[in-house]
Amino acid sequence: MLKNKKLLVLLSLVLAFAMFAVGCSKPADQGNVDDPAPVAKDTLVVGQGADAVSLDPHATNDQPSSRVSKQIYETLVNQNEAMELQPGLAESWTQIDDLTVEFKLKQGVKFHNGEELKASDVKFTLERALQSSHVGHIVGTIDKVEVVDEYTVRVSTAEPFAALLAHLAHTATGILNEKAVTDGGEAYGQKPVGTGPYKFSNWVVGDKIELVKNDDYHGTPAKIQNIVIRNISDNTTRTIELESGGIDIAYDIQPTDVKRVEENTSLTLLRDANLATTYIGFNAAKAPFNDVRVRQAINYAVDTDSIVEAVYQGVGAPSKGPLGPNVWASNQNLEQYGYDVDKAKALLAEAGYENGFKTSIWTNDNQQRMDIAEIVQNQLKAVNIEAEVKVVEWGAYLEGTAAGEHDMFILGWVTVTADPDYGLYALFHSSQHGNAGNRTFYANPEVDKLLDEARVATDVAAREEAYKKAQEIIRNDAPWIFTWDGENLAGTAKNVKGFKQHPAGHHKLFTVYFE
Amino acid sequence: MSNVKAIANDAPTGQQELKQKKSGPWREVWRRLRKNKAAIFGLIVILILVFLAIFADFVAPYGYDDQNLQARFQTPNSQHWLGTDNFGRDIMSRIIYGSRISLQVGFIAVSIAMICGGTLGAIAGYYGNKLDNFIMRIMDILLAIPGILLAISIVAALGPGLRNVMIAVGIGSIPSYARIVRASVLSLRDQEFIEAAKAVGANDFRIIVKHIIPNSMAPIIVQATIGVANAILSAAALSFIGLGIQPPQPEWGAMLNTGKQYIRDYSHMTAFPGLAIMITIFALNLLGDGLRDALDPRLKS
Amino acid sequence: MHRYILRRLLLLIPVMLGVSFIVFTMMYFTPGDPAVMMLGESAPEHEVARLREELGLDDPYLVQYARYVKNAVVHQDIGQSYKTKRLVFTEISSRFPNTLKLAGLGVLVAVILGVPTGIISATKQYSLFDNIAMVLALIGVSMPNFWQGLLLIIFFSIKLGWFPSSGFDTFSHMVLPALTLGTSSAAIITRMTRSSMLEVIRQDYIRTARAKGQVESVVINQHALKNALIPVITVIGLQFGYLLGGAVLTESIFSITGVGRLMVDSIKSRDYPIVQGGVLFIAITFSVVNLCVDILYAFVDPRIKSQYK
Repeated sequence: MLKNKKLLVLLSLVLAFAMFAVGCSKPADQGNVDDPAPVAKDTLVVGQGADAVSLDPHATNDQPSSRVSKQIYETLVNQNEAMELQPGLAESWTQIDDLTVEFKLKQGVKFHNGEELKASDVKFTLERALQSSHVGHIVGTIDKVEVVDEYTVRVSTAEPFAALLAHLAHTATGILNEKAVTDGGEAYGQKPVGTGPYKFSNWVVGDKIELVKNDDYHGTPAKIQNIVIRNISDNTTRTIELESGGIDIAYDIQPTDVKRVEENTSLTLLRDANLATTYIGFNAAKAPFNDVRVRQAINYAVDTDSIVEAVYQGVGAPSKGPLGPNVWASNQNLEQYGYDVDKAKALLAEAGYENGFKTSIWTNDNQQRMDIAEIVQNQLKAVNIEAEVKVVEWGAYLEGTAAGEHDMFILGWVTVTADPDYGLYALFHSSQHGNAGNRTFYANPEVDKLLDEARVATDVAAREEAYKKAQEIIRNDAPWIFTWDGENLAGTAKNVKGFKQHPAGHHKLFTVYFE
Repeated sequence: MSNVKAIANDAPTGQQELKQKKSGPWREVWRRLRKNKAAIFGLIVILILVFLAIFADFVAPYGYDDQNLQARFQTPNSQHWLGTDNFGRDIMSRIIYGSRISLQVGFIAVSIAMICGGTLGAIAGYYGNKLDNFIMRIMDILLAIPGILLAISIVAALGPGLRNVMIAVGIGSIPSYARIVRASVLSLRDQEFIEAAKAVGANDFRIIVKHIIPNSMAPIIVQATIGVANAILSAAALSFIGLGIQPPQPEWGAMLNTGKQYIRDYSHMTAFPGLAIMITIFALNLLGDGLRDALDPRLKS
Repeated sequence: MHRYILRRLLLLIPVMLGVSFIVFTMMYFTPGDPAVMMLGESAPEHEVARLREELGLDDPYLVQYARYVKNAVVHQDIGQSYKTKRLVFTEISSRFPNTLKLAGLGVLVAVILGVPTGIISATKQYSLFDNIAMVLALIGVSMPNFWQGLLLIIFFSIKLGWFPSSGFDTFSHMVLPALTLGTSSAAIITRMTRSSMLEVIRQDYIRTARAKGQVESVVINQHALKNALIPVITVIGLQFGYLLGGAVLTESIFSITGVGRLMVDSIKSRDYPIVQGGVLFIAITFSVVNLCVDILYAFVDPRIKSQYK
C-alpha cells in the first residue's frame, strides 16, 4: 500500500526530526523567564515533591506533612536553624529533677479557633501522641504529663532522657487544641487548628494546600498574606516551574539541576548541610557479612567519592561515620575508609574470600539509590564480588529487610532531632532489629551499653563522650558503608528574602518576604 | 503503553483461505507478502534486530555495563556514536543489548498470552454454554481493569525482574487471544469437516488441536505480530515507571526512565532509546499490516 | 431498549464483584505490610501491631473481603485511605475530573485529527496525502507515549516555552498532555476511518448514487459518511476507555493530579482501599462508556436497534 521510496523518505524525515530534537535541546536556554512587573505580591507559592498526607501531626510522620504543619503548629520548644533550643510555646523551662521538666507556657496564645492555649492542651497533645502508632516512638520515653496550673505543665520520663527537649521540638509534638481535635473527629487531619503564624485555609487534594496569615498571632506576625504549597512530584518539572516563575520557592532541587539554578540570574540556590545520611548496609547476621573483615573490605572497595560525584553531582559529602556533621556529638574525627582495592583484597583473603563471592544489593526504586547500587556493583567486580542489583518495591523492601532476607541494602536516615540518640539507637542497638530500624542486624554489646548509658546520662560531657566512643566502634565494625551526608537544596526566586533552610527539612515560611 | 491492540480488532479472519491444504496456502501468503514492500521492510528491520540480539556480544562496541565515570554524559561522537549515559556507558551498546531484552519480553509474553488465551478461547468456543459464559465473563473482568494497572499490580505482587515482567505483560493480553480464538472456533465448530472428524470418532482434544487451531492461525498470527509490539511497549512502560527490569540490564524503557532526569541537559539519553522502541514497533506494525493483507486478500483491492 | 439498558447495567454487578475480588486478592498476596509502609523505616513492632489492628489487617482474607463488600453494598462505603484517612470516595472523586478531562481531551484530539484525515485518505486513496497520512498514523501508533510526552516537553516547554510542562489548571496546561495521550488514538481512528470509508465507497448504493450523477461531495457527505462512521464510533468508545487507563503515564509525566497517578502511588504505598476503589471507578466508567457506545449505535443504525431487547 505504500511506495517504498516514499516510505524511506518519510522515515528519514522522522529520524532527522528526532536528531533535530537532540541537537536543539543542547544549549541551555534560560531566556524565557520574564521578570514579572513589581506588583505587591501577597502570595508565596512553594513547590514540594509530594502532597501532605495529613495535617494531624499524630497521624503521619512524613516530611511533606511536617513542612506544612510547621507553619500551622508550634512546639513547646524550638530548634533553630543551628539546631539550638529556643523557647517556643513554653517561655521557659526548668529541670526539676533527673526525670522531670517543668514548662511555663506563654500566656495569651490563641489557637486558630479562638481557644486559648492552656496547660491542659499540652497534656492532651502529648498523651494523644503517645497513643499514635505513627509518632508514638518520638514521645515514647514520656511517662507522665501533669498540669500544675493553667500555664504550667510538667513532663516526666520513666528514666532520665537527655534528648527530651530535642524530641519536644519535633514537629510531631506540635501542640493541638483539645476542643478542635474532638470537634474535628476523623477529619481533623483535613482541617487542622494550631497556634502558628499561618492558618489552614484550603486543601485541593493531591494538588495544593493553601494557608492564610494568622492575624491574631502571638509572636512576630508573618510577612506574607497567603501561602500556597503545591505538590509537584516530578523533580525536573519542579525546577522548570521555578524557572518559569510558576513557583517562588522549590524544595529539593535535584543535584542535576544545581548548576542550572545557580547560573540563572533570576534565581537563588540555597545549599545547606542537612541531617540526612545515605548508607549501604550489610546484613551482619548472614555470611559472609557476619565477618567484620568482609564488611571493612567492602568499605575499602567502594569509592564513595566517585558516588558523590556521579550520583549527587558533587552535592553533599562522603560520610565519615554513622552521623552527619550537623548532629550533636557527631564524631567527625573518624578516619574515612577511603578507596583502597589492595587493602580490600587483603582483608577478603584474610577472611577466606580471595576469590570473592556472589551477593545482592537491595534498593528501593529511588533513582539515586538505584544509581548507587549500579556503581557499587561495578566497583565490587574489582574484588571479585559479583553483586546482583535487586530493585525492590518499597513495601516489599521494608518487609524483606526487616525479615533479614537481604544481603546488602541501601537506605537513608534523617536524624530529625539532631540528637545522636535519634540517629544511633534505632539503627544500631541490638534491641531494634528489624522493623524498628536496625536492618543490618548489627549487635555489639559494647555499643548497646554505650547507647543505653548515653540515653539516660544527665551529664552532657559524659553523654558526648559515650556517643563519640560508640561511633568509633561502629565505624570500625562497619555494619554500613558510610556513604553520603546530604544537603538541603532549595531554589528561590531572586525577590524572595528571609528564607532559611532548616537542617531537618521543615523550613519555616513565616519569615519570608518579597523584595 | 501500547494501543496497537485496537488495530488488530479490525483484522479480518482469513481462515477460508487456509482451509484447503497445508503448504499451498502458506506459500501463497508468502508470495503476496513478498510483494508488499512495506511489510518486507518491516520484516528486514526485525531480522536485523534479531541478529543484533543474538550477536550483541560481537556487534556491540562496548559491554552494556562498562562504566567509565570519567566519560559521563558524552554527546554522540566518534568513539561513542550515540553518546554515553550518566555512568559513562556506551548508549549504542546498551541499545544493542537492550534488543535482547525487548525481543525476549515481546516473544515470551506473547507466547504466554497466546497459549493461555488460546486454550481458554478454544475451550470456551468449542464447548459453549456455561463454560463459555464463565470463561468469557472472567475475560471481561480482566478487560475492565486497565492493562497498565493490571501489569503494575502483578509486578508489585511478584516483584520486579525480567521474568515477572513477561508474566505480567502476558497475563494482561490473555483476553484478546481468548476472544479471537473463541470467535474462530465458533465459526468453525459447525462446519462440515469438523462434523466429519467427529463422525469418524476423533476426540475433542484431537479435533481442537488437529483441525480447529490450524484453521484459526491466520488471525492469531496477525494478533501475535502486533502483540509483540504491544508487549515491548508495555514492558518499556513498566520500566519507565521503575517497576520493570533490574539494573544494570539495558532495557529501553528503563534507559528512558534514567534519561528523563537529564532530559534538559543531555537529551540524547532519552532520544535514542525512544527511537529504538519506535523503530521496532513501527517495523512490527508494518509486518503485521502486511501479514493481514496477505492473509486476507479480500481487503486488497 | 430500556430493558436492554437495564440488563446491561445489572450485568455490571458481577463484573464489579469480579474486578474487586481480583484486585483484592492480588493486593492481599502482594508482599509489603501496609502498616509497615505507613510507619516507615523505623517502626517498633508494637506500633506496627497496633496499626495493623486499627486497619483491620489481622482478619482472615475472606473476612476482610466480605467486610469490604458488605460495607460497599449496605453502607455505600468503600473505605478509607490507609494513609490519609480520607474517604476513598473523596480521594478519588477529587481527582477523577482531571482524569476524565484528560481522557476526554485525548479523544477529542484523536477525533479531530483522525476522522477528517481518514476520510480524505480514503477518498484520495494512494495519493501523496494518503501515503503521508498512513505513515504518520503508523508512527503515531509506534511512538511510546511516555517518550512522546518527553519530546513534547523538550520542545514546547523547555525550548520554545509555549506551554507549561506541569499542572492542569488552564487550557495551556492541557495542550501537551492531551496531544500526548491523543496521538496514538488519532492514528488508530485515522486508519479505522479510512478502511471503513473505503469499504463503504465500494458498495453498490454509492455506485448508484454516483451513477445518478450526484456531486462527489454529496455522495461522500450524505451517503458514505454516515455508514462509514458506525464502526468508527465503536473504536472511539474503545479508545476513550483505553485512554482512561493510559492516563496513568501521561499523568505522571505532566504531574497531573489524576486517578491514574493516585493508583500507581497507592499500589506502591500499599494503600489498598484506594487501589480497590480506583479500579472500580475506572472499570465502571469504562463499562458505562461501552454501553453508551452501544446505545449510540442503535440510534445511528436502526437495524441494530431491533437486536437490543
